[in-house]
Amino acid sequence: MTCACDSDRVAVMFENVTAALGGTVILEGVTARVPLGSCTAIVGPNGAGKTTMLLALLGEVPFTGGIRIPPSDEGRALRIGYVPQRLQFDRAMPLTVMEFMVMGWQRRPLWFGVARRYRERARQLLACVKLEGLERRKIGALSGGEMQRVLLALALGREPDLLVMDEPASGVDFQGEHIFCELLDVLRREQGFTQLMVSHDLPTVTHHATHVICLNRKVAAEGPPREVLTAENLTAIFGLHMGLVDSSALPDGKSSCSSACCTGRDGHA
Amino acid sequence: MPELTAVYDLIARLLPFECMQMRFMQQALTGLLLLAPMVALMGVHVVNFRMAFFADAISHSAFAGVALGLILTVSPRWTMPVFGLLVGLAIVAAQRRSALSTDTVIGVFFSGAVAFGLAVVSRESSAARDIQRFLYGDILTITAGDIRAMLALLAGLTVFQVYGYNRMLYIGLSPSVAKAHGVRAAAYQYIYAGLLSCVVIFSVQAVGVLLVTAMLIVPAAAARNFARSAGAMMWWALLVSTTSTIAGLLISAQEWARTATGACVILAAFSWFMLSWAFACMRCRAPGSRQ
Repeated sequence: MTCACDSDRVAVMFENVTAALGGTVILEGVTARVPLGSCTAIVGPNGAGKTTMLLALLGEVPFTGGIRIPPSDEGRALRIGYVPQRLQFDRAMPLTVMEFMVMGWQRRPLWFGVARRYRERARQLLACVKLEGLERRKIGALSGGEMQRVLLALALGREPDLLVMDEPASGVDFQGEHIFCELLDVLRREQGFTQLMVSHDLPTVTHHATHVICLNRKVAAEGPPREVLTAENLTAIFGLHMGLVDSSALPDGKSSCSSACCTGRDGHA
Repeated sequence: MPELTAVYDLIARLLPFECMQMRFMQQALTGLLLLAPMVALMGVHVVNFRMAFFADAISHSAFAGVALGLILTVSPRWTMPVFGLLVGLAIVAAQRRSALSTDTVIGVFFSGAVAFGLAVVSRESSAARDIQRFLYGDILTITAGDIRAMLALLAGLTVFQVYGYNRMLYIGLSPSVAKAHGVRAAAYQYIYAGLLSCVVIFSVQAVGVLLVTAMLIVPAAAARNFARSAGAMMWWALLVSTTSTIAGLLISAQEWARTATGACVILAAFSWFMLSWAFACMRCRAPGSRQ
């Protein structure tokens, strides 16, 4: 596997970002970069401000400082796809997966049905996330993992330059999470977007990330996972426990992961 | 208004009941038939996004609207919709800026508006009759002016829903995802709240403050049980609200009934809901069709 990241160019640049909610400082002078084409992971303990950092990027929370998003090569504003941690919605709501997929594209109200071209496109995207044949299912009847993949398909429908994901695999079992991450790796290489995700699951990060931002209100460390996810760094931000867990996950300071994608990355790095 | 007269004559011909030959009944039915699609369209979003309490707050702000009319010596016909609109927009603005939960924000506005209305009205004994009208509704006294205003509102609302129904669903599911994906959520939220406030105020006249939320919720709730998709839900809501208003008005005018029209309309819609419930239960039990 080759990493498409261009280490000199950035997709997003956080410059001295400070955010406070209700008088509590959540982010303090955060300066960090998301390299173009990378899979960047924000890791940190609970309450470290990981989600707030994403929400600041999306313009959902007020902050001071700057978040610079350079325009794409074609000169238009960067298109963002967003996959939230979990969608809180009314499960009894009669909304089919097909309608869910097209509601952002189709102007004609859904009472007049879904236009054929959008129907086709939704089918393609659902096939992309391995959910063929679920179009007529109500979204309330989807499992947690299926819902996350539908949300991913919705975000991919934007043809994003930057895919922002908040704990994309939370509430998904281990098997599902693995499928989810593999899927993302493939899609990222095919479509060439930059991926920015929040995770507190270190094995996932070591598997899939090419760039890591360790956050605990401030940026503790930043760089390739190998250099950043050291026992000292992790102990510093997570406390002793996580440091111990990590040292078993990364024996001898090397990636313990033996899956194809990681051994491939070993060769690259 | 010659065009309205034509509508009234048509109603008299289509519904050859004795009671429907009277002009005030024809006017009432016209008003209700204009209201039915509005509550159906708005109700779908109210139910899906749990905005029932919002509708309640607007309807109760009608009290304050009447009170303002008394203070300013302006007809409540004007102060009610204007004040309702202001309360609706203020609630949305507060929700967007405040960390308080939606219920709390609405509850605070709600009680403020009701208390203000009661305080002012309690000083004026002559206003007691008005209050009764607002509690129970009085569709039979609807004027041609009201009907014209409702026509205009229906037109505006239809344009908004045709343009924004899908985006409203998007925002209702997750404002942050919708916003990240390029939907101008704030604009839709304000316009929706404004239109909903107007619809609620007109419904107050039809069914009264006590039942106005039911008017929005019951058809949409029944539709939700019948429909298998968000598109179909709108058609079901339209069917339930239209048939309920016609049935309610006809029943209320019968010799044996002689009941308040608003209550009859809601009862008809409620019957639809019970039917839809039974339908939903049967569908759940049917093997292999778990949706």
